[in-house]
Amino acid sequence: MNAADFQALLPLLVLSGGAVLLMLQIAFVRGVNRSAALATLTLVLAALSCASAVEQAPRQVTPLLVMDAFALLFCAVFCLAAAVTVLLSGDYISYHGDEPEEYFLLLVLSTLGACVLVSANHVASLVLGLELLSVSLYALIAYPNKSILPLEAAIKYLVLSGTASATTLFGFALLYAATGTLAFDALGEQLTATATGRPMLLLAGAMVFAGLGFKFSLVPFHLWTPDVYHGAPAPVTGFLASVSKAAVFLVLLRLFLDADLFRYRILVELTGLIAILSMLAGNLLALLQTNIKRMLAYSSIAHMGYLLLVFMVCIERDNRGLAVEAAAYYLIAYIATIIAAFGLLTLVSARQVEREDVQLQHVSGLFWRQPLLACLLLVALLSLVGVPLTAGFIAKFYLVVAAVDGSNWVLLGALIVGSAIGIYYYMRVIYYMSRKPEQQVSQAAPADGLAVRVLSGALIVIILLLGTVPQPLMAYIRSIL
Amino acid sequence: MLETLFYGAALIALTATAAALTRANAAHALIYLIVSLLAVAVLFFLLGAPFAAALEIVIYAGAIMVLFVFVIMMLNVGESGRAQEREWLRARHWIVPGILAAALLLELLLALRHNPVATSAMEVDPKRVGLALFGPYVLAVEIASLLLLAALVGAYHLGRHFIVRREDQR
Repeated sequence: MNAADFQALLPLLVLSGGAVLLMLQIAFVRGVNRSAALATLTLVLAALSCASAVEQAPRQVTPLLVMDAFALLFCAVFCLAAAVTVLLSGDYISYHGDEPEEYFLLLVLSTLGACVLVSANHVASLVLGLELLSVSLYALIAYPNKSILPLEAAIKYLVLSGTASATTLFGFALLYAATGTLAFDALGEQLTATATGRPMLLLAGAMVFAGLGFKFSLVPFHLWTPDVYHGAPAPVTGFLASVSKAAVFLVLLRLFLDADLFRYRILVELTGLIAILSMLAGNLLALLQTNIKRMLAYSSIAHMGYLLLVFMVCIERDNRGLAVEAAAYYLIAYIATIIAAFGLLTLVSARQVEREDVQLQHVSGLFWRQPLLACLLLVALLSLVGVPLTAGFIAKFYLVVAAVDGSNWVLLGALIVGSAIGIYYYMRVIYYMSRKPEQQVSQAAPADGLAVRVLSGALIVIILLLGTVPQPLMAYIRSIL
Repeated sequence: MLETLFYGAALIALTATAAALTRANAAHALIYLIVSLLAVAVLFFLLGAPFAAALEIVIYAGAIMVLFVFVIMMLNVGESGRAQEREWLRARHWIVPGILAAALLLELLLALRHNPVATSAMEVDPKRVGLALFGPYVLAVEIASLLLLAALVGAYHLGRHFIVRREDQR
């Protein structure tokens, strides 16, 4: 490795160095504010260092990682999202009592896992990144372990996610047995040359897809999602729903693109079927929920279904550029929206005994109690619906354009039906928020600091900006593809 | 010949794993799990990776499993525990794992008569492993170390809470 390699790896190095510093700091002097500040500094520095690393892009650093502009863009997005999560969770974590400092260390490590995932183009780095992301998340979900809900959620996630990892690993082992290589592009080339029978390759592909589909909570593998979202601390849920899913999606996309798995029509059509199932089942199940976090969980399944549509569009080589562009824009808009939504839910549920539990009645009359908070939450929800002027609209519009380009009418129909159902349950939350409060619910103004409010405000501004002036980001994404 | 030994060891691994999954008693299940790990080590050995086989025995069957057995045994202290341990040590509980392990030893001895001991063309010795790990895969080693850090910190946080609560009760 030479200087250029190190420069290309800069974001990952900053994150690792920050994690080690944070660990030493915790070992010598404990202090929530200090740890939070150091974690934020690390994450922001890592995001900034992407700008320096991009000078070397695209660069293959050892056979494991490829640092191209696309990976670096998402590294920066993940680091910023994690920094926002750190700031949102400061109050939450110290409220829950003892030793809150390691939380930030785990969050930094988990972000590092996500960054490794987006830049992985080798099975070894994929598996390691995935594990780093998930193992940190187990502990993050169970972090406030005085209450029962987070523990339950963490156990469920641990067992099921472990199974999913094992399945993925088995699939890759079969692929390695068939092809003798672990690099994505060589894997693609060897697949055509291999003498191994088609059934084994299909089984391997299905196992890999099932394992990653679990992490990505697509429909036949989605059962963990509502329970984990419900039980996890709200900021962690936001992180899990945005960064972890985006990272898994991007690595799956890279695997398909580099190894050119789109030529296996049956595999891609399977993703199309799963996309439709996810859109419909996610939206229909979300209708039945009275818990807002569960509702968002089901809606996230549907959102991932919408996103998966780009796989079908990618079958035609000509449409790939647009499809990847749409996916990138959608992911960035989705990350901003989801983190804003869960950040605001953190504020809504402040000073509750079971803070992980956010029911519809908790937001009842929010417009009258805390108008500012309610307006911000309104924007986040509208962005999830996909109302014009918000990021969600442009993102969905992009997907529709991609689907029309690829003439995937069935998928497009499912997207429209799903979105129509979605309007109902998002609007129900808004309806609850606008109800006149019958009796004054005992909730005083939340004690969260100014920083959280400013941050939520800033996220809302980003959502609106992405929805009104999307051209700069679009142009940038197009230029790096 | 080596192929036969390979499938024999694979069969033992599958049998032992199935038995480990179906035992109601944790201690018995662990014994079968150890046999299963030993069988996997023999598989590695036959595939031409003696270093991986040694690691499998030292780390998995050795360190980790012995730790498990200790913890389970320590949970049964006192008179009732002693009676239970005597019950566990009856022949019908250890005879099957014993036979399986003896079969693995026999396989190993048979395999050692061949030279080189490998069903594959290439033997992967420690030097090769080291060169791969600290050559092209050096970043994987680094990421794995951070993965262990995450696991350690998480386990510390969750486990520590449990210890503190116990002390409070006293």
